[in-house]
Amino acid sequence: MAPSTESIPMRWPAGPLEIALRKNVKGFSPETAELLRAWLDPASLALVQGTPVNCLVVSWASGLPEDAAQQQALKPLIDKGRQAGLDFAGIVEGKADRQAAIAAAQSAGLAAVVMDGDPPANAGIPVIPRCERAHLAWTANSPLLGISDGKWPGIPQDINQAGGPTNLPWVDSNGAVLQIARALAPGKGVWIEFDPPPQAPSAEGYMLAVADPASYGARWVISLDDALRGDLTAKKQPALDTWNKVAGMAAFFEQHKQARNYEAAGLLAVISDFAGPNWFPGEEAVNLLPRLREPFRVIARSRAAAASFDGLRAIYYVDQEPPEAQLREKLIAFAKGGGTLFVPSKWPNPEGEPAPAEPYLLFSMRALGKGRLAVGKEDHPNTYDTVADIQNIVSHRNDLLRLYNAASMNFFYEASAQGGRGVIHLLNYSRRPASDGPLFYVKEPQKSARLVSPELASPAELQWAPQEAGGAELALPRISVYGAVELES
Amino acid sequence: MKRDLTRREMLVASGALLALPALPAWSAAPTGPTARVAVAKCKTYGPELLPALETMFDQMGGLDRLVKGKTVAVKINLIGVRWQRLGTARMEDTFWTNPRVIAGVVHLMGKAGARRIRVVEGPWSTPETLEEVMLSMNWQPQDILSAADNVEFENTNYLGRGKKYSRFMVPGGGLIYPGYDLNHSYEDCDVFVSLAKLKEHAATGVTLSMKNVYGATPITIYGEGAGVDEPSIRPHGGRGGTFHFARRMPSKSAPQQKDMSLPKDAGYRIPRIVAELCTARPVHLAIIDGVKTATGAETNYGSPNRPQAAVNPGVLIAGTNCVATDAVAMAVMGFDPMADRGTAPFANSDSMVRLGEDLGIGLRDLSRNEIAGAPISEVVFSYSAVRDRLLAAAKKS
Repeated sequence: MAPSTESIPMRWPAGPLEIALRKNVKGFSPETAELLRAWLDPASLALVQGTPVNCLVVSWASGLPEDAAQQQALKPLIDKGRQAGLDFAGIVEGKADRQAAIAAAQSAGLAAVVMDGDPPANAGIPVIPRCERAHLAWTANSPLLGISDGKWPGIPQDINQAGGPTNLPWVDSNGAVLQIARALAPGKGVWIEFDPPPQAPSAEGYMLAVADPASYGARWVISLDDALRGDLTAKKQPALDTWNKVAGMAAFFEQHKQARNYEAAGLLAVISDFAGPNWFPGEEAVNLLPRLREPFRVIARSRAAAASFDGLRAIYYVDQEPPEAQLREKLIAFAKGGGTLFVPSKWPNPEGEPAPAEPYLLFSMRALGKGRLAVGKEDHPNTYDTVADIQNIVSHRNDLLRLYNAASMNFFYEASAQGGRGVIHLLNYSRRPASDGPLFYVKEPQKSARLVSPELASPAELQWAPQEAGGAELALPRISVYGAVELES
Repeated sequence: MKRDLTRREMLVASGALLALPALPAWSAAPTGPTARVAVAKCKTYGPELLPALETMFDQMGGLDRLVKGKTVAVKINLIGVRWQRLGTARMEDTFWTNPRVIAGVVHLMGKAGARRIRVVEGPWSTPETLEEVMLSMNWQPQDILSAADNVEFENTNYLGRGKKYSRFMVPGGGLIYPGYDLNHSYEDCDVFVSLAKLKEHAATGVTLSMKNVYGATPITIYGEGAGVDEPSIRPHGGRGGTFHFARRMPSKSAPQQKDMSLPKDAGYRIPRIVAELCTARPVHLAIIDGVKTATGAETNYGSPNRPQAAVNPGVLIAGTNCVATDAVAMAVMGFDPMADRGTAPFANSDSMVRLGEDLGIGLRDLSRNEIAGAPISEVVFSYSAVRDRLLAAAKKS
């Protein structure tokens, strides 16, 4: 069966090609080679039995002499796996003969190949295009896209984590690229690859690695470190416990996939084509807004003219080049109707009249109908300051949500298209609970709120604490990795 | 408005007269102005708040005498990352000056004839307006803005609405810095008010009306992201790198550290910086909100050895001298205002009230100040006892 958005992929490093690819990498040892041979054994597939993992991703061709031996060596594993209902996808990379690799994949019964660069036409087998995130062909003719340069999520060890009582730590997340992916390639599945860091992660680290992409509707191509795989091969209990947590997290998202059809909600929209020079400011804005606790949605520029701006109070148009006439007209109409439109410095012939503003702001303000046009002052402004100014100008007065006591956490909010249901995803990048549980302010309390999390035996009904100035707060229990607040009106 | 009490009446009223030491013992004591400090019981921020504040101001001789026809700057305390609360307790009930106290003080100042009242603060690492910071905490800033005529806010982390920074030199030359460059609001005012919270501090033992002035320093000059030569346009980072640990110097446009060999220890530096700031930019009225607050530290910065709790001491303290007011506040917290380094609350720092006294701001000896209103013995709320209880409970669990 062809891999689909329902597939749950796992990297299955095994075989002579894998050994050849890694033998010059620091840390490679005879034990590593032995492990890579051991995972060729069909018996090793027992590991994924009873788990949601249903697609194993193997090295297939790299243009090395070991390619043919690899394909031969994998045959028993593939045959046994297919009998057990598993799909296999082969990675074709480097200087591999792509046509030959595809033909071999078809012959071997692979469900798909994962291929760098543009997929060939009429391959005869599903090809999952795979690329670094800034260069991915989002409109490629494939229901699945592969991002090869995902980040191991967490608080990076080489950056000052605490700094004192008044600091928010930096976090590495794949949320930005995955939100962009949903905007640029709606309906497509995304596989994102990243390997464990050199220091073997904890079980919670692996759980976060699953949850970070899964909460945004994507899939991590599960990739275990050698030590863990070795211990799993040796059936050591701590390793099995870790693996069960990884599989449990993946299963959790399968059980809660109804929210995948929800749409990001917020008062702010970020519009960009996220292409070429617009990639960095666009991705960085989407990356940083969660650290400011600003719920937002991403709209692909190509779809913006037809998109609904209902519910928005502000739009940040990121791209250096001005929008197409139809979109510009729509954006200006949005501002004239009372919204705030943020545009870069190169916006030609700004509409409206100059309006007073705080001098430090990176935007010049212009009154425009009932709303405002904010024009960037600098050609290459600091992105954090830019989004902080946007938040400041838009104002906290109408915040839909606020999150407290969660310095190492990000959240994002999604709502059903029909209304009535919503979910707040909460990810803890420190992978350990804080001293206090997270606390949400919700502007419009709903009928019910419950917390679901793989860390809870059963969903926890949350109590609304009405606030004197309006809205209500929800106090959550402490969360190590992931939880979701399901709201229903 | 009540008439001014004489010093003797004040002492009798407070029961402090009996506690006065024999006069000759003062001969070798530090010199400085004696001051009036009023203490009020106030369990809630409800209807009892405004009368309590009004009574205190009356006991101090009347607010009109201080603010009538004057421009007043009220430095409030909005410390720390606002998204980090102490459990479910609200910031205004733990670490921040409560908005009802702010509104109450503003209202009474307006009533007393203040010409203009500017509420000022440099909230952590942001150029946002104070309205925005308040809105993000679900406050209603309009309640403060409408509490009197001509009320305005200014974020003093940066230049703000001014055209240049105002320089305040430390009389006598200073201990760490000879002077400070501050937002224009601190010069524009005729009357400077420190409206603080009754709190402990992780580095300096306590943070009261004196320490509150520390937050007046602009991050554009004294922050970790400050400009090297000139102030930055935008504030970035906290003040720790410059003030706590001297990892970097202020922008060169501002007065520089006098002696680079001085210790780089927060417990040495911050009390001195606070004391000299309070001499460079004198506090005319110190008010401390101890109705609801937190123990353990100035913000959510607890640790196993420094557990924190939201508490309800139910007390307000106000005085015209920040050293005397903080000394009274320390006594209310169960600490000895005469304590110095090595003794609680100054386990790891020098005493900023002693340093303030050394600089001639005021006197920390309670018996040498005039204390009105509720006797301290009736309002003592021991922070150490809370800590001991928390530690014992943690040990048990």
